[in-house]
Amino acid sequence: MQTQHNQLFWKAVFILIMLCLGVGIYVSSKAIDYTWRWERIPQYLISIEPLEIRAPFDGSVSQVDEKRHRITLDSDYGDDPFVVENFDDLHVSEGDIVFEGDIIARQEHWNLGPLSWGLIMTLKISAVSLVFAMIIGLFVGLARLSSNPALRYLSVTYIELIRGTPLLVQIFIFYFFIGTVLDLDRFTAGVAALAVFTGAYIAEIVRSGIQSINPGQMEAARSLGMNYVQAMIYVILPQAFKRTLPPLAGQFINLIKDSSLVSVISITDLTKAGREVVSSTFAPFEVWFAVALLYLVLTGALSWAIQKLEKRLAASD
Amino acid sequence: MTNADNKSIIVAIDVDKIYPNGCHALKKVSLTVEKGEVVVIIGPSGSGKSTFLRTLNQLETISSGSIVVDGFDLNSKHTNINRVREKVGMVFQSFNLFPHKTALGNVMLSPRKVLKKPEQQAEEEGRELLYKVGLADRMDNFPSHLSGGQQQRVAIARALAMMPDIMLFDEPTSALDPEMVGEVLDVMKTLAADGMTMVVVTHEMGFAREVADRVVFMEEGELVFEEQPDRFFSSSNSRLQRFLGQVL
Repeated sequence: MQTQHNQLFWKAVFILIMLCLGVGIYVSSKAIDYTWRWERIPQYLISIEPLEIRAPFDGSVSQVDEKRHRITLDSDYGDDPFVVENFDDLHVSEGDIVFEGDIIARQEHWNLGPLSWGLIMTLKISAVSLVFAMIIGLFVGLARLSSNPALRYLSVTYIELIRGTPLLVQIFIFYFFIGTVLDLDRFTAGVAALAVFTGAYIAEIVRSGIQSINPGQMEAARSLGMNYVQAMIYVILPQAFKRTLPPLAGQFINLIKDSSLVSVISITDLTKAGREVVSSTFAPFEVWFAVALLYLVLTGALSWAIQKLEKRLAASD
Repeated sequence: MTNADNKSIIVAIDVDKIYPNGCHALKKVSLTVEKGEVVVIIGPSGSGKSTFLRTLNQLETISSGSIVVDGFDLNSKHTNINRVREKVGMVFQSFNLFPHKTALGNVMLSPRKVLKKPEQQAEEEGRELLYKVGLADRMDNFPSHLSGGQQQRVAIARALAMMPDIMLFDEPTSALDPEMVGEVLDVMKTLAADGMTMVVVTHEMGFAREVADRVVFMEEGELVFEEQPDRFFSSSNSRLQRFLGQVL
């Protein structure tokens, strides 16, 4: 009973601290006379734009089906009938005579704002880099464990080079040097830099995962006639994957966050979109909070998905 | 098979094994095993008996000497060791079941991936083997939900699924609680009675006496003595006597 009381008390303390933080932010923004304009943010995520539908020819409205949101327009000159579907506002009724250019209906058109496009770009660049980073990481991790010195030294050199230099510098090198030599566009250069950077970390995770598997597993697999590759694919890697899922998840989340650095080579990802929106709204606080929230949604979704996967793989424990 | 007679399925001659650190694990060990024979290797720990067993499917490489298994010369560059291992099943002291697969999954994996058997056939044969080792009601359990004895019986079924000509057992009961030793030995006895060629490293003297056609005594990397069980246990060899005095 005593411990339960304590639990409640400390939960209350947690809520109190969070409240204090919130109040602190509010008070400090008051102190610098900042006017919050949250209402300016949503339009940069998504906006509704009316789209007018005009008659393409002279004719008459032959049929209005309100239920199915469908108008049929017959031409006076024997053209094919004009059919409008999915309108939101009707401007004519059945039997009306219309002339070319008259507004007959209005559609509400949803437009994604710059922040949404930035989010999509961040998602795209992260997803593509992730796939390549996994492939690089897997092969470099295996090479790191190889008995062939060339493979081993190559992988160690790669890992040390990449881990020892800042990602920002690597992105510049990829864009300005390698990108120029190989004539890469921004997106490719950005993806390559991120994949190569993250691959080095994944390689170390893969190596530690494989080394953590009891050597008896490899012996058992080999004694059953499997070759090295089969033993890796069917026996060692599935176990190593399960064991390294938590550090891999951390690395994936880092990748999403690191992708914000590609904005320096003018890729309009979420961060660069944020900067652009700030310059047109003059509402930096709201925009950066919104951008942070959007990143949080991405990383949160990923971490949730990986937790689900972890639970599913735990069936054999 | 170029060796003396066609009944010899394992011919090891003057096998030497020196580890890079200088440890001389096997000293001129020679052993011939006939088809259908059960050979039990005993000896103190560190005597090289497990090492010798592991050279027979090349989990350990040898420094010199020659080994011919099931017609394959293990020294030859043209021998694909994976083909040899298909024909030589091995059971380990620590079971080494694949923890991410069910009992049936463990048994089916190699027939599916190495022998490329169709799923259905592999499953049928797998179920039959698990039934044979008394695990009909444990097919879909993961190794972590099986007792040591059950795990070791799955491991035997897994090795048998490859339809081997030879079975190697590396102290199969040493990691088991005493009450589970019997169930594993029973499976091995049935296997011996069915005519399987077996090489068994064990400390179970009862099994050696009862099932073996021949018992081999190894000490300090040397094969000291080999004989039929009744004569083996009544032998007057001094080194053997000293060892038997310690374990019996």
